[in-house]
Amino acid sequence: MQPHLKRAFTLLAIIIIAFIFVRSLAVPGSFGEYGWYRGDSVNELRSQDIEYAGSRTCGDVGCHNTLYSIWNQSRHKTVNCETCHGPSEKHASNIRIMPEPADDSRDFCGLCHYNRVARPDGFPQVDPETHGQNLRCAYCHNPHKPWFV
Amino acid sequence: MMENLVWGYIYPNEAEIQWSILIVLYPYITGLVAGAFIASSLYHVFGNKDIKPVARFALLTAFAFLCVAMLPLLAHLGNPQRALSIMFTPHLSSAMSGFGYIFSFYFIVVVLEIWLAFRVDIVNAALNSRGWKELLYSALALFSYDISEKALEADEKLGRKLAIIGIPSAAFLHGYVGFIFGGIKANPWWSSSLMPIIFLMSAIVSGIALLILLYLVVMRIKKHPINHKTLYSLAHYLWVFLIVAVVLEMLEIISIKYEALEEIEIIEHLLAEKIAFTFYGIQLTMGALIPFILLLLVGVIKNRDKLKVAMVAISSMFILIGVFAMRWNVVIGGQEISKSLAGTMTYVPVFFHHEGVLPAIIILIIPFIILRVVTYILPPWKDMMEENEEVAVSSE
Repeated sequence: MQPHLKRAFTLLAIIIIAFIFVRSLAVPGSFGEYGWYRGDSVNELRSQDIEYAGSRTCGDVGCHNTLYSIWNQSRHKTVNCETCHGPSEKHASNIRIMPEPADDSRDFCGLCHYNRVARPDGFPQVDPETHGQNLRCAYCHNPHKPWFV
Repeated sequence: MMENLVWGYIYPNEAEIQWSILIVLYPYITGLVAGAFIASSLYHVFGNKDIKPVARFALLTAFAFLCVAMLPLLAHLGNPQRALSIMFTPHLSSAMSGFGYIFSFYFIVVVLEIWLAFRVDIVNAALNSRGWKELLYSALALFSYDISEKALEADEKLGRKLAIIGIPSAAFLHGYVGFIFGGIKANPWWSSSLMPIIFLMSAIVSGIALLILLYLVVMRIKKHPINHKTLYSLAHYLWVFLIVAVVLEMLEIISIKYEALEEIEIIEHLLAEKIAFTFYGIQLTMGALIPFILLLLVGVIKNRDKLKVAMVAISSMFILIGVFAMRWNVVIGGQEISKSLAGTMTYVPVFFHHEGVLPAIIILIIPFIILRVVTYILPPWKDMMEENEEVAVSSE
């Protein structure tokens, strides 16, 4: 083979070897251990702190019984406490640690209730421009018992 | 506002169209690459001497567009640094995972072929220049300056082998892009085994059209007379491939209509309401029928070169627009029908957005800048001029 072609193919071989080398560095060692993902991620996820206590904790322990039983009967019963009030595991295990106050902005309610073409017809939707005179939703609606205006 | 964009019944997650104008651009640019490459191999492999003046220029054009072929996808993904993951850990059950490897393989073939085609020029430039130019060309020559007859013979041998590998890999590269769409069984407008070959044929058509336009522009800038033999030969191939491409596209539509499966109603709605203008107007009339007639006339009319050059130029321009419309009708059209087969959505392009029209325009301009730079380093003009002078002399 001509020397210049030899050089060209050597260069090509170097590029391919460099790719294989970089790949071996970039792909984590535990990749593919269980499936098409990093095997170590299973342990990492498992060792993360628990953030959410679950709605039942709020009612079962007896602290927020009244609100819980109202919410439990309402149309919002599929929306968990922590959806609005934020992750509360720390609060559940130590009541001195208060969770963040609930987000009661119009846009937060609007995540579910602003008009969207993809939502089913019967779903309660409003046009934020014309509905409610820019007041906070909770000014008229009780989020724990919607339609209780 | 959204209400006006939706017709009939759609699923909740379909209201927003995810694959934007950038995904229209991706098969378009890849197609130009494959087309320009195949145009160059008409000379390099099939030995059509008429194509010789533009053969090396076509390789550089393919290279310039190949450099940006990934950009629309990277801009669309929003997390371009993750792009390498598809090459590091490709999941074989996904058709998309092949792109990195197919693209890289093709890139190597194109670069090697350009290197071999320009090696004599590179070595001469390295020997006859000083300073940074000498360094640049010496590096490009890999510091090996052997241009003896024996060396060139070896080059030519390898070049021919590469071109023979290059044609199937160009066909594979673009057939594969068609396969990404054709393999989606959930979408009746895409799911078709004809899709890869339709994409490939329209790619060749658009690549040759681009090459013709670039050739005409270059000759005008260089103020050199056009080599009519080359131009008409390219126009002839353009005409033949255009016929094949349009026949395949029509076969696809006809078989959908004739089979009349459950999706027929929504596809008829799509063709009549959603993409009527871009399909019948631009893709078929402007991009196929008018160029077909004009190119036919170019083949029939004797003499009157000025008129014929204008007709070839107009056909090429219309074909480039028509093929873009074809990509649009496939990519956007396919997403505008709901999986419910009972409703449609509408794609509204935005201008200033990372997936908007502005980045699409920028991405379309970049290859021309790259081409300017590459042709500055490796000027292919000599081929175009030499032939011309012969023609000019003989016609006088």
